[in-house]
Amino acid sequence: MGVIRAEPARVTDWAAKSVGLAWRAFDWQLLTYAGLLAAIGLAMAYTNSVEDGKLPLEAGTTFTRGLMWAVIAIVAYLLATAFDYRWLKTVAWPIYALQLGLLVLTLAIGDGVGGSARWITFGPFTFQFSELAKILMIIVLANYLGSRQGELDSLVSILGAGLLVVPPLALVMLQPDLGTSLVFAGILVGMLWMSGAGLKWLLALGALAIALVPLAWTYVLRDYQKERLTSFLNPNPDIQGAGYQLYQAQISVGSGGWLGKGLTNGTPAQSGFLPVQTTDFVFAKLAEELGFLGAMVTFLLFVLLIWRILADGWRSRDAFGTMFAAGLASMILFQLIVNVGMVLGIMPITGIPLPFVTHGGASLVSLAIALGIMQSINIRQSKAEW
Amino acid sequence: MNAYLDGRVEPARRLSRFLVFGLAVIIGVSALTARLFYLQVATGPENATLSAHNRTVLQAIVSPRGLISDRNGRLLVTNVPTFTVKVRPADLPQPRREEVVRRLAALTGSDAADINMAIDGNPGSAFDLVRVADDVDKSTALLIAEAGPDLPGVEVVVEARRNYTDGALMSQLLGYTGPVSAEQLAGLKAKGYLPDDLLGKTGLESSYESDLRGTYGSESVERDASGRRIQVLQTISEAQPGNSLTLTIDTKAQKDAERALRWAMGEVGIKRGTVIAMNPQNGEILAMVSLPTYDNNQFARGISNKAYQKLLKNPDKPLINHATQAWYPPGSTYKLVAGTGAIADRKVSATTKVATKGYLTLGQTKFYDWNHRGFGPCDIYCGFGHSSDTYFFQLAAKLGIDRLAYWAGQYGFGAPTGIDLPGEVSGIVPSNKWKEDTLGAEIFPGETFQAGIGQGYDVVTPIQLINAYAALANGGTLYQPHLVKEIVGPEGNVVSTIDPTVLHKMKVKPSVLKTMRNAARSVVTLRHTYNLVDLPIKIAGKSGTAEFGTRDRKGRLPFHSWFVGFTPGDPYQGSFDKADSKLVVLAFAYDSRTKSNAATEIVKYFMQLHYGIKKDYRNSLTRGNFYQSN
Repeated sequence: MGVIRAEPARVTDWAAKSVGLAWRAFDWQLLTYAGLLAAIGLAMAYTNSVEDGKLPLEAGTTFTRGLMWAVIAIVAYLLATAFDYRWLKTVAWPIYALQLGLLVLTLAIGDGVGGSARWITFGPFTFQFSELAKILMIIVLANYLGSRQGELDSLVSILGAGLLVVPPLALVMLQPDLGTSLVFAGILVGMLWMSGAGLKWLLALGALAIALVPLAWTYVLRDYQKERLTSFLNPNPDIQGAGYQLYQAQISVGSGGWLGKGLTNGTPAQSGFLPVQTTDFVFAKLAEELGFLGAMVTFLLFVLLIWRILADGWRSRDAFGTMFAAGLASMILFQLIVNVGMVLGIMPITGIPLPFVTHGGASLVSLAIALGIMQSINIRQSKAEW
Repeated sequence: MNAYLDGRVEPARRLSRFLVFGLAVIIGVSALTARLFYLQVATGPENATLSAHNRTVLQAIVSPRGLISDRNGRLLVTNVPTFTVKVRPADLPQPRREEVVRRLAALTGSDAADINMAIDGNPGSAFDLVRVADDVDKSTALLIAEAGPDLPGVEVVVEARRNYTDGALMSQLLGYTGPVSAEQLAGLKAKGYLPDDLLGKTGLESSYESDLRGTYGSESVERDASGRRIQVLQTISEAQPGNSLTLTIDTKAQKDAERALRWAMGEVGIKRGTVIAMNPQNGEILAMVSLPTYDNNQFARGISNKAYQKLLKNPDKPLINHATQAWYPPGSTYKLVAGTGAIADRKVSATTKVATKGYLTLGQTKFYDWNHRGFGPCDIYCGFGHSSDTYFFQLAAKLGIDRLAYWAGQYGFGAPTGIDLPGEVSGIVPSNKWKEDTLGAEIFPGETFQAGIGQGYDVVTPIQLINAYAALANGGTLYQPHLVKEIVGPEGNVVSTIDPTVLHKMKVKPSVLKTMRNAARSVVTLRHTYNLVDLPIKIAGKSGTAEFGTRDRKGRLPFHSWFVGFTPGDPYQGSFDKADSKLVVLAFAYDSRTKSNAATEIVKYFMQLHYGIKKDYRNSLTRGNFYQSN
């Protein structure tokens, strides 16, 4: 991380800044890494479609839907980049209301497996609004923490941030989607940390959170959730029950070896060996077909992406930008570690998508919007040093 | 800060926090890398074999369910192989679910809504099989099994299904097996029940579930990628077949009882009825019929929701065994209680003459005898024989409600008989305490009158009533009625014999019951029951009509009819002085507005069929709003 070379803020005339200067501030690396990750995601969609015995460009396959969402994501990205992010601060509270509204709507009219309410169906497409809600949460928290720079040693500010997160987290929990609600918590922790909040308060909050675990275990979590959370700890997993996915995933991963079996040569989905491989367990497929080296390339792209986001945040002369970068980096890091950790059997099973790679329109478009905002922050600073 | 920053707040960046965050990234990704290296490179080849080839899973071996036969060894249920369609929800991709379910519904001829309900109501996890269609024919099963990728997550399994030999005839007794529900599974998982398991849902299949089921075994099985079994590697424990049941039921008696009841119901359009036959010497049930009923094979084959709702909505409740799971007012059959109690408590002797009249007056209310004339001075043989209401009003008043309740308890009323069928109800015996507890008032004298003749608050189940008359017939022992005679092991060895269980012995002198048996005989000999006396066999018993519901325009109430009768040990030459009866029979006809007592005719017909009496003594039944006897 040799990039943390802050330039002190310098007063220049924003209005006189040329378009060229703005584009020099555009972070091409950020775009490149994100694009490559999305390409890996499309490759996985392609391989899944082929192994399902379909023509890749046949309508309705994972691949064609992935392509369609990629186009939508590019448009969303460009719009978000062009949009002056400073407006977000003005409308932070309406955004918060929108976020809660979308989650309530999901609970009211959403569909899901076995009585849950996770996504909303539009014709042939489904959209999981909790993905967008995560980005909206980052905006709201960035505004809150950004406007309280210097006051963050006080418990009140920290608790305030916590209180902002509770309603959406609870709404997601009700869907029920344990994984996404954990992401909300992860975002909060990452942003509080980067905001410079007082260490003693963070430690106190951490202690409180740990103290609440037994309560949540007894009163909030459902039996199947507990089974999934603990199955990775079990040395003799119940391979017919909760440990089934895990067991299958690890066999798939293991069979990849150094170089993998190559795209479209993995275990077909129909075999029943790797259920939901297009969604939360997509990394198992990736590791099987692209091997250890392919997985390493993926990890590297994630590390570079997080590095660029942090660097952009450091460079921002606006606390909102720094906080937004912190939230986005926290979210991606949290999802990367929990999702891949789950597939590899070192993290509990929670339904968290792998950013860019898991097939899901909502996840991809939401990430594109977030990266667009990040670029908007970049090009609207006075300096573009690097 | 300055004009240019237009509201921007200078960030309080802290290098240390950024560095720690970066460290977290490095540590996290390193941990993932290390684990990935372990799985892919260090132990990779091992996993590659597992993935490329087959895998081993532990599977339960389902034990053959025990059989059920009647007392003569006739099989009432067998196990037949059947194709069952199951779905593993985790393997059924959500976007294709609708299409797959639609195709399955079309192939199996079932309702898509039912299949969706089964999948959503899956008691296990998404990785457990859910039963969606039972008893699929072979060609459909092959079609589904070969559909492969077109029907992802769908499997065809060969299972044993229950085949009930006589269907509806025995449904109320045998019950049926069906898929375990989520609530049931929660309690049974520890006992080795599987999420797609079958178990006895009602009847003897339910009450003897633990005997019939046996013990599942387990084996390790090698399966290919699509989950098909390739070979059994090792049998870890063998399945222990379930035990079989030998019933006390006699199929012929059961058929006779059903025929007699169906005849009467058909004659005048009676909608519900019950016939029970039992041996009063040991509580063995020979026949038990409750109509209307259902076909348990429909359930064993997997009933459609539509057919099930139809059964549920039938106002005559075909899913209920009206012999044990429903209570009704006993009417005059209940006069046994007041008669026995009054003599045992020495309120009257067998020969005490009590004046019977057209009516008795209590306050402003007239309590009429059923014939509105009375029978003159009556002893017990006259009072019970003619079923005189005013006679029993007076006996009940002499006893008082609490002694009446005591003697009802002696006959077993007010408590379940403990018959080996699920869901038995207990009925009501009114007493001062009962009324204060439930209605907050003492019993009125008029209510004691009513209790004496089995009207008012009293309600009994048919099984209680026949058990009371069984105690009368056997000299005062109350047995627990039962349907199972023996539990037989898989090799035909008798595991246990169900010995007669004595609930209690009545605290009454044998002479009192002898008097009541002869009084019951006089019911027949006085021709209170028309020509029952003309039969070549001897029958003693008591008829009853019990009013219920709401009055019609002329102030008349609808009524049920009852008859309980028994024969002496030697039905042709025997005497009711002895307590050696081998057969007591009860008939109950719900809402039977007939000119003669429908239940008496049912018992008469049953006796004719049972004893092979060629001549037909039946009176034809005609609709009428009055019943002239009681």
